[in-house]
Amino acid sequence: MGTWEWPLIVFTVLSQISIGIIVGLLGLDCRNQLKEKLFKQGVVVSGILLMIALLASLFHLGHPEAAYRAITHLGSSWLSREILFFILTFVGWLYLLWLSFHPAGKLRSSLLITSVLGLLGIISSAMIYVLPRVPAWNNVAPVFFFILTAGLLGALALVILGGKELQPEQKKSLLNWALGCIIVSIFMFVLYASTIKVNAQGAATVQFLLSSPLFWLRAGLGWLAPLILLLIGLKSQKVFTASTLYLVFALVGVGEILGRALFYVSAVGIHISALF
Amino acid sequence: MTKQLGFLHNSEKCVGCQGCEMACKNEYQTDAAPRWRQVFQLREEDYSLPTRMFFSMACNHCANPECLRVCPVKAYTKREDGIVVHDHDRCIGCRLCLMACPYDRPQFNPAQKKVEKCNLCYQRIDKGEKPACVAACIPEALQLVEINEALDQRMGVLKTLPGLPSPDITQPAIRFIGPKQGKQIRRD
Ligand code: SF4
Ligand code: SF4
Repeated sequence: MGTWEWPLIVFTVLSQISIGIIVGLLGLDCRNQLKEKLFKQGVVVSGILLMIALLASLFHLGHPEAAYRAITHLGSSWLSREILFFILTFVGWLYLLWLSFHPAGKLRSSLLITSVLGLLGIISSAMIYVLPRVPAWNNVAPVFFFILTAGLLGALALVILGGKELQPEQKKSLLNWALGCIIVSIFMFVLYASTIKVNAQGAATVQFLLSSPLFWLRAGLGWLAPLILLLIGLKSQKVFTASTLYLVFALVGVGEILGRALFYVSAVGIHISALF
Repeated sequence: MTKQLGFLHNSEKCVGCQGCEMACKNEYQTDAAPRWRQVFQLREEDYSLPTRMFFSMACNHCANPECLRVCPVKAYTKREDGIVVHDHDRCIGCRLCLMACPYDRPQFNPAQKKVEKCNLCYQRIDKGEKPACVAACIPEALQLVEINEALDQRMGVLKTLPGLPSPDITQPAIRFIGPKQGKQIRRD
């Protein structure tokens, strides 16, 4: 069984929200021209989250002072690739920040490049865990889970940040997107649990998850409650007061953090089975 | 890589004395917690004959080392003779190799916050000496061998033992000789 990897939980979830916000800004800009204030707010919050995430990741290392070396094995290490892509995303973000104060440059293409770099960073983060030694991770599920977190929390964060700046249809499409991410997450989990069960370690992971109260808390708070709130809210726009939006974001946020913690804790690796 | 050095462990001869473990600790003066080499006893569930059976395992200097693939700082290198060497100075303690090795052979040293493991006494091998563990094994149950076709075709040489991870994952450079049935008595 794995351990509670707090620095990694904070790093992965926050970096994914950060990149989700950038991708969300791109999506909004492609539909209608982004309002300057929303762009600035989105970029600033995304950057703050990315910086906290990168800082948190250092706490996972035994020797954070030598973290710069972690970029030296791009040939085969996904951890090296992840760091490279996050550094490049950060450079892209710096340019976006500059643009948010000097709105003249190529906004959409800069958002697109930063989004692609960020998504490559998220995919690399997930690929770190695709290890033959850990059957529960040795599949596409980590990539899906990580991208879904970005899509879900990124969209909800933008709805909150946007506030009155967002036109009703922009708000609706972001909320629809979040709803879609929740439905796909539930579907992905069912698929994941039923496919990894085929070997002993995968079955142990599923058994651990299904017998853990934390998993059911995660499913109730992070999937079911926001699913119901979003379904009701999207039917009648009026229900979406600011406080409801905060509630949905908080529920999903807690759900994703618990889900990520369980991702690490529930991983069962192939071991030597013998007496020591 | 021109050859692949590795270990041959003979459970017929091994008495589980842990002399190899102690020789390793003595050679490198390692801290108490990390066990570069470790003597294991097979579980009855995995090997249900009335024998008490041991095997000794350190890093297996795999042909397809997962530790080397995942390490972000290139702390692992594979020598021409197949030995997988870990550079302690380069390690930043990310512990990813711990997750990747199916044999749990990279060991985290909590005091130094770095990983360490068996480097197959390459400095002794370069001088023509045996690794410390092999030299210390009184019943000569542990040997340094070249892993090749000829060895794998020898009668009684096994690629794995019950309870061990599948050798397909990393192709470990270790071979085993199992005990003859009924010669050793399970006493536990
Ligand atoms: S036994 Fe583990 S540490 Fe040693 S080479 Fe194989 S994968 Fe790497
Ligand atoms: S703990 Fe050290 S040796 Fe292992 S993967 Fe990380 S940097 Fe490499």
